[in-house]
Amino acid sequence: MSLRGWVSALRDALHNTRRGSLMSLASVLSVAVTLLVLAVVSLLAVNLEYWAATAESQVEIKGYLCTAKRDEVKCGGRDLTQAETEAILERIRQMPDVVQVTFLSRHEALEQMKQADPSQAAIFEGYEGDENPLSDEVYVKVRDVELVPAVAEQIQRLDGVAKVDYGKEIVADLLAFTRAVRIAGLGLVLLLLFATVLTLSNTIRLSVYARRREVSIMKLVGATDWYIRRPFVLEGMLLGAVGAGLAGGVTAWGYMRLAPVIQQSVPFLPVVQPSLVLADLVLGLLLLGAALGAVGSYFSLRRFLKV
Amino acid sequence: MKTPSLDGINLEVDRGEFVFLVGPSGAGKSTLLKLLYREEVPTSGQLLIDGKDVAKLPPRAVPYLRRNLGVIFQDFKLLPDRTVFDNVAFALECTDVPRREIMRRVPAALELVGLRHKSRALAAELSGGEQQRVAVARAIVRNPVLVIADEPTGNLDPENTWAIMNLLNQINQMGATVVVATHAAEIVDSMKKRVVALERGRVVRDENRGTYGHES
Repeated sequence: MSLRGWVSALRDALHNTRRGSLMSLASVLSVAVTLLVLAVVSLLAVNLEYWAATAESQVEIKGYLCTAKRDEVKCGGRDLTQAETEAILERIRQMPDVVQVTFLSRHEALEQMKQADPSQAAIFEGYEGDENPLSDEVYVKVRDVELVPAVAEQIQRLDGVAKVDYGKEIVADLLAFTRAVRIAGLGLVLLLLFATVLTLSNTIRLSVYARRREVSIMKLVGATDWYIRRPFVLEGMLLGAVGAGLAGGVTAWGYMRLAPVIQQSVPFLPVVQPSLVLADLVLGLLLLGAALGAVGSYFSLRRFLKV
Repeated sequence: MKTPSLDGINLEVDRGEFVFLVGPSGAGKSTLLKLLYREEVPTSGQLLIDGKDVAKLPPRAVPYLRRNLGVIFQDFKLLPDRTVFDNVAFALECTDVPRREIMRRVPAALELVGLRHKSRALAAELSGGEQQRVAVARAIVRNPVLVIADEPTGNLDPENTWAIMNLLNQINQMGATVVVATHAAEIVDSMKKRVVALERGRVVRDENRGTYGHES
C-alpha cells in the first residue's frame, strides 16, 4: 500500500469528519463520556488494588513458641533451648513461600510493653527473667496472601511452636473483596467498551451512507475492500482517539486535583500517586479509543461491502 | 425462491464481438450483465470470462476481475461534485495506479470521447449526453477486455443515443468485446450486430446481423 494511498485515505477521513461535523462532534462527546466513566472506574480499580495490596502485605503470621509457662501438650512444660529456637526459625526461613521472618523474644516483648507506657512500668516488675509470662514470637511474611493459611498450617505443625495466629477472617474477607471488585470492574469495563464500539460504528455507518455513491463506484471500478474501508477505519480511529483524549484530559485533571485532597483528609487510606498512573492511563485511553474506532468502523462496513 | 430471473441460458461471446441484448423490461437483461461483473452470483451453472469461472471467484478476487471490465449504466454513476478529469481518474486512483500513469491515460480516454476540453468542468455541469461520455471514458480508461453497458442510452435523446452507440462501436473496433443491453430498436436495426433476445429469463433468439424484433 503506497504512501500516497495512505495520505489520500487520511485526507478522505478528515473530509468525512468535517462533512458530518455535527454527528462527529456528537459521537466524540459520547465516546468521551463513556471513556470518562471507564477511566474513573480504572482509577478506582487501581486504587482498590493498591489498597488491597497494601492490606495484603500487612497480613502476617504470628507464631508463639513453647515456654515452660504454656499449657499446650506439645510444649511439654519446658522452655526451648537457644538451639531449638534457632532451628525452628531456620525451618521457617527454608519454607518456599516465606519472604520474611522476624523473631521477638519474650524479654524484648516485655521491654517494649514497658517502654510503650513508662508510667505503668512498675506493674511489670516481678515478671522479669523466668517469671516472664509472655511467649517468644515469630512474625512471618508470605509471598502472597492466598498462601497464608497453608504456610500457617505448616508452621503450626513444627515442634516447639505452640500456636499460630493470622487473622483468618480478615484474610478471607480481603480475598473475597478483591475478587468481587475485579469481576464487577471487568463487567463494567466490557459494557463500556461495547457502548463505545456501538457509538463509533453508528457514526461511521452514517458516514458511509453519505458516501454510498462513491463507495458503489469504487466497488464497480475494482477497488479492493481494504482500499474502500481504509478512510472510514481511519475516521473511526480519529473520532475514537479524540474522544479518548478528552476523557483522558478530564480524568487526569480531576485526579491530580482530587488525589492530594483525599490523601490529606483520609490519611490511613493509601492513594496511588497521580504521577505513577496518569501517563499510562492517558496513553492507554488513546490507544483504546483508536482501537475501538477501528473495530467499530470495520463492523459497520462489513455489511455494506458484501457483494 | 420465486421463479428464477434467468434460466437455462447458454451463450457464447467471442473476443472482439459486439452483442446487443434486447427484450422487454424484466426479461433478465440486467441480471445477465450483473452476473458478468459479479454483482450477482448464479445459483447454478458456469460463467466463464477468459476461461475463468466468475461464478466461483472468491470475493477477494472480485475487484481484480472488475479491473478488466468497463461498466456503463443508464444513470451514468458519476460523482457530480467532481470534475470530469477526476471522475475518470477516480477509477485509476482507487486501484493504486501511479500518478504519472493517470496523467497519461485520463486525457487519452477523454480525447476518445471528445471531452478533453471539458476536463475541468464539474460533472454536474454537463449535459446528459456528455455525462454518459464521461462514464464511457471512465469505463475504458483501463483498456478493459470487456465493456458492459446496461441501457446506456435510456436517459438520452436520439442524437446523443447515436453518439454513444457510435462510441461503443468505435471501442469495439479498437479490440474490446462489447455487450449492450438496450431498448433502442432503431439503432439495433441499423447497426446490424449480433442480437440476443431474452424473454422471461430465457434466450428466445440469437442472430448475427440481427434486428430488434417484435418481442417487446
